[in-house]
Amino acid sequence: MEGVVVRGEGIRCRARTAAAYYRSYSTPALPAARRLLSSSNGVEEAAALPTSRQLCGKPRSPFAPLDLDLSLSLSLRVSTCAPSPRRRCSQVPGDVVLDLSEMTNQTIKLGTGLRQVTRLIGCTWDLQECDTIQATSAGMLRLSKPNKYWVESSQKRYIPSVEDTVLGIVVDTKPDNFVVDIKGPNLAFLPVLAFEGGTRRNIPKYEIGTLIYARVVKANSIMNPELSCMDVTGKAAEFGQLKGGYVFDSSTGMSRMLLSSPTCPVLEALGKKLSFEIAVGLNGRVWVNAPAADTVILVSNAIMRSESLSGIKQRAMVENLLERLS
Amino acid sequence: MEDTRRADGRSPNQLRPFSCTGNPLHRAHGSARWAQGDTVVLAAVYGPKPGTRKGENPEKASIEVVWKPKTGQIGRQEKEYEMILKRTLQSICMLTVHPNTTTSVVLQVVGDDGSLLPCAINASCAALTFAGIPLKHLTVAIGCGVMENGTVILDTNTAEEQQLKSFAHLVFPNSRKSVDSKEPKEKDEEFERGLITSVTHGVMSEDDYFNCIERGLAASSRISDFMRKTLQKEASSVDA
Repeated sequence: MEGVVVRGEGIRCRARTAAAYYRSYSTPALPAARRLLSSSNGVEEAAALPTSRQLCGKPRSPFAPLDLDLSLSLSLRVSTCAPSPRRRCSQVPGDVVLDLSEMTNQTIKLGTGLRQVTRLIGCTWDLQECDTIQATSAGMLRLSKPNKYWVESSQKRYIPSVEDTVLGIVVDTKPDNFVVDIKGPNLAFLPVLAFEGGTRRNIPKYEIGTLIYARVVKANSIMNPELSCMDVTGKAAEFGQLKGGYVFDSSTGMSRMLLSSPTCPVLEALGKKLSFEIAVGLNGRVWVNAPAADTVILVSNAIMRSESLSGIKQRAMVENLLERLS
Repeated sequence: MEDTRRADGRSPNQLRPFSCTGNPLHRAHGSARWAQGDTVVLAAVYGPKPGTRKGENPEKASIEVVWKPKTGQIGRQEKEYEMILKRTLQSICMLTVHPNTTTSVVLQVVGDDGSLLPCAINASCAALTFAGIPLKHLTVAIGCGVMENGTVILDTNTAEEQQLKSFAHLVFPNSRKSVDSKEPKEKDEEFERGLITSVTHGVMSEDDYFNCIERGLAASSRISDFMRKTLQKEASSVDA
């Protein structure tokens, strides 16, 4: 299974049943209007979904579409032969992933967890350049054809990258920005006007502690990341404040698993019996909402427990929990 | 070389049994509990958090180390350990990736039976990896002692440290695994190896010191294999 996509679309969907959930991931880009969801109670309408974004979670590899972020993706000119690293193997910081001296005229893109090391070795009359790609974090090396490499690992903290959807908590309000905590190395700024139809007159009043579902617009290591509550076309698209419900922390790997397509087994199994609403932030936060409190508790416990379980075990665990409830 | 037996029955090159538990603490962003025999250290890493302390370079990430002894007040010895650890960790972390942030490493000594500083360095390196802080390479630390007849013993315990006239704590970078390296292995070793930190106690001759370094280097590959296995196991268990 190569090129496993790390990020899903992160759309907050009101999953009433498994069928509805599948629909959110299997239909290609829908025309403007509303997506219909069926539930055990009948047909319900969901909020309007953006057209420009593909709903089918054709998951994306963690590279910015434009190579703006030079610190994250480097394009290198390398030698001819095809690289032969192992497709999926686990790396430890300092491991040499690729030896570039054997590869010429190839462009390689590096994602998170890798860096290029150039060293001059040998004596003064026989200096050779030793060019290698080394891992900087422990995890699995992933390759997405033709030339993208990254190291995938799961942490409690989040490193912001562009076009990620995250759940942030407001910690401060300034005249121009809301200061939002997204569990990263820096606090993020959410401009006051980055809302659909936002003008100086209708600035939302978010207090400290408000939970916000937003999209990362700018992220580099030097500046504070910038968020937006609009999608690329300027529509609201489910972004904004999330009211009620319960929020808990997970690891980044867990968030990616919850957002992967096909649907994560835990969510599928829960969606068959219960009706709830869930929003997953790639920064390791999950929000769950349901009409009854015990549904919320059950769903969040199931998700928290499913981190280290395989698909079959996840389903079995959910069955167990549901039996105990009924 | 005669077969010198040490007080606890180990041979000169034999290390105590190692163990490393990944992420025992739930609130810390990364943590590790490293045990070498009876010496046990628990390391917790928090960060990267925004903001640096006063006096630190804002263009780089800063590392803050807090050492908590098992008993007693915090004194000069603890401050010395903190400084040694801070310098060692600063040399392995990639500080320019997240400028103007602070990463805190908190170490709690759970048991002390010799080779405390190497155990702490190993624990903090493992904890940094579990927390996802970008590192250039791992560190492998080992304590070596020189006996009266010149033999070098590895992984000293408290009794040996009190009797020996000199011992050293050495920190090496880990042995590198290369996926497809055409260069012969020995040449690789020579270039990549080096000494990150060396703390000596007592008086030893130059030859003894270089002997210690050689033995330590040889043993460090074993420890680094162990560390690699632990990290891979942790990574794959989460990856499912």
